[in-house]
Amino acid sequence: MKWKYVTPLLLLAALAAAPQFLPRFHTYILAIVLLTGLLATSLNLAIGFGGIYQFHHAVFYGVGAYGTALVLTRTQLPAPVGLMAGPVAAAALSLVMGVICVRLSKLYFGMLQISLGSLVWATVYRWYSFTGGDNGIPGVPVPGWIASSESAYYYTLAVTTLSMLALYRIVGSPFGKVLQGIRDNPVRSDAIGIDVKAHKLTALVIAGFFGGVAGSLFVVIDTSVFPDMMFWTYSLEVLIMCLLGGMYTFFGPLVGSSILVLLRTYVSIHIPYWHLCLGIILTLVIVFLPEGVLGYAARRFRPKEGRLA
Amino acid sequence: MLKVESVVKSFGGFKAVNGARLHVEKGEIVAVIGPNGAGKTTLFNLITGHLLPDSGRIRFKGRGIEGIAPHILCRKGISRSFQVVNIFPRLSVFENVQIAVLARERKTFRIFSPVRNMAAEEVHEILRNVGLYGERDVEGDLLSHGDQKVLEIAVALGGKPELLILDEPTAGMGPKETERCIRLIKKLSDESGLTILFCEHDIGLVFEIADRIMVMVRGGTVIQGRSEEVRRNREVQEAYLGEAGEC
Amino acid sequence: MGLSRTTILFIVSSGLSLILGVLRIPNIAHGSLYMIGAFSAYSVISFLGGGGFAFWAAMVVAPLIVAAIGFVMERGFFSYLYEREHLMLLLLTFSFALIIGDLVKILWGTEYRSITAPGFMQGSAEVFGLPIPYYNLFLLLVGPVIAVFLWLVVNRTKIGKISRAAAVDAEMVSAVGINVGWVFAFTFVLGCFLAGLGGALIAPMTSISLGMDHSLIMEAFLIVIMGGLGNIWGALLGSLIFGLAQSLGILAWPQFGIVFPYLAVVVVLTFRPKGLLRSAW
Repeated sequence: MKWKYVTPLLLLAALAAAPQFLPRFHTYILAIVLLTGLLATSLNLAIGFGGIYQFHHAVFYGVGAYGTALVLTRTQLPAPVGLMAGPVAAAALSLVMGVICVRLSKLYFGMLQISLGSLVWATVYRWYSFTGGDNGIPGVPVPGWIASSESAYYYTLAVTTLSMLALYRIVGSPFGKVLQGIRDNPVRSDAIGIDVKAHKLTALVIAGFFGGVAGSLFVVIDTSVFPDMMFWTYSLEVLIMCLLGGMYTFFGPLVGSSILVLLRTYVSIHIPYWHLCLGIILTLVIVFLPEGVLGYAARRFRPKEGRLA
Repeated sequence: MLKVESVVKSFGGFKAVNGARLHVEKGEIVAVIGPNGAGKTTLFNLITGHLLPDSGRIRFKGRGIEGIAPHILCRKGISRSFQVVNIFPRLSVFENVQIAVLARERKTFRIFSPVRNMAAEEVHEILRNVGLYGERDVEGDLLSHGDQKVLEIAVALGGKPELLILDEPTAGMGPKETERCIRLIKKLSDESGLTILFCEHDIGLVFEIADRIMVMVRGGTVIQGRSEEVRRNREVQEAYLGEAGEC
Repeated sequence: MGLSRTTILFIVSSGLSLILGVLRIPNIAHGSLYMIGAFSAYSVISFLGGGGFAFWAAMVVAPLIVAAIGFVMERGFFSYLYEREHLMLLLLTFSFALIIGDLVKILWGTEYRSITAPGFMQGSAEVFGLPIPYYNLFLLLVGPVIAVFLWLVVNRTKIGKISRAAAVDAEMVSAVGINVGWVFAFTFVLGCFLAGLGGALIAPMTSISLGMDHSLIMEAFLIVIMGGLGNIWGALLGSLIFGLAQSLGILAWPQFGIVFPYLAVVVVLTFRPKGLLRSAW
């Protein structure tokens, strides 16, 4: 029995059946789990597989959401255009930011990205007339075929599954391998004929695009957007999801984001100090489990030849 | 094939390379030797585009190549290995060479095809040639040091170069591994007609396989010629024997 | 008005810059430490019943409290994790920021606090026809004093020199027999002290609330990046530019005033990605 193929299918089946059994609130949460998982996986393309210090990924999430929301609320364009507009805008922003930042390495890249991202956030935050300022845009008119809680969920499930499949293919493709090579040894990559900057830029645009997809999904689920979606603290939270689940595995970020979203939702109901809990969890992970849940599992259950456990 | 003319490179006030000359014909094995700090690696860095010369010309197949970025130079036919082991530690031996081949075939932007068996035949051939076929699934950083240096060469070969530049290929190797490496270099030259340029500390080896030898002292070229000429040359003797233990 | 806030920014940023320059840790908890400085100052002053003595006591005690917390953070956690990647250290400081943020909420509650400047500093003086509060003038004096003091420590004392060497090559420094660990601890504690001092100093000027940490840490980071990592004068320059951009921005275009400083940072970094002045690394 090929568990590698069967497990995802079983999971998919369970997710598809879920809304039939769960109350609306839980369906909503499950949808959030899914799209956040996509967001984290898109970030991991850049940071886990590409070694790029993408410190402000939430910008693309926010822009994707705002893009979709703005088109749906302010224009008469058909809904699918709105749904695509967000991710495309996010990818475009990623390209622009990437071109500016990609010549820098590591920490400097991260910090410049934070600056640029904060600029975008500040602009959105203040532009009351266009973006609703710090109130955001509540009540986005989502098209009828995905307006109900159930249909929104299925739409999210479908889009997330397709996106994850695409990302999985990308990671397993020549591009994906080259990206990992660049992560591990940019000098060597350069010397064997790889245009490091061009590849990094491509990775950033892909990551930005799928981050934007996650954002547009949020609009469908929640019918609102707000500036905090692209605040830098959220970027760090997404980073934590990748770390928690395992940055060098494909499904790690999904695992990490599921844990974090579920914890945040259900813990916050009982304890008003979620940040404290998050901080403690993060500290424990960093000190004891730096490779994340899946990273640790991979090491434990499939020891490599000659490697000490 | 490769001509270096009076190249100068300074860092701050220090002239690392000072009027060096080098000349490599197609199909030859040329070695650059010289005491520590003579500027051999800097010269190689100048040739492969990692550094820009202050003055002088570097010509490959007749065209100037000073300052061309390493990744573009690679496509023109020059591949290089590094002094300090520089492989992809988290990838397997197979994947290490595979990346190089894919880079050469310009397939690196393919995002929708699975990479697992791409270019497998060519990669296997290269691995067999250098003797690493048995370790093809082992992760790079689990190899022994000597194997890693051979992998370096294999990765450089993935680019199907016309000119292979090896920076101290036997550095840090024990006698057996060194033997193996030298035999590999000879084999690559004999069988594939590859033009090879390498630099070394161990003079004995160099005399064994090099067609011509260039001696560098303090950034400049003392002599370039066949082993006999070099052996007899006064300055070379002084540089090496005068500074005993400099090897 | 803008200049006195700039002083605070400078003090806090210089601490951050030191930590980033010598220990290579982007200390996201720096804003939270600043916040603790402010809240501690409030507590000290309330405890001592206000007045001149309470004020000065708070200005000394609050930063010391923060420095102590920093000491615990560094010795208890960071010192074991230096070989890890920057990313890990950055996230660790973020986790502390989260923890401290909620701890402040637990210890002091969620209401705004405020303290007033001590009696002798209330009121304002006429400078060039404009009324400027005495307290702001006080801050304007304090800023350069701290700057000079820091410069002396970093450039003229033995420990300052060792820190600078350690920033560039920590291994070399320990190979020469110096205990790099204590150098790092000292630098980190100094940086935290500065954060606490900034918080304590701004307490009489603004409302003390949760969320102080968030707004400040972003600004401090941008200033440090703009000025050059580990460079005290860079922090000063960065603070001036930032403060100026903010004031001018709000004057020129009230709605989007806060965007100007970010724009300034982006412009600077695009042309001088490593900051305006020399970075430690």
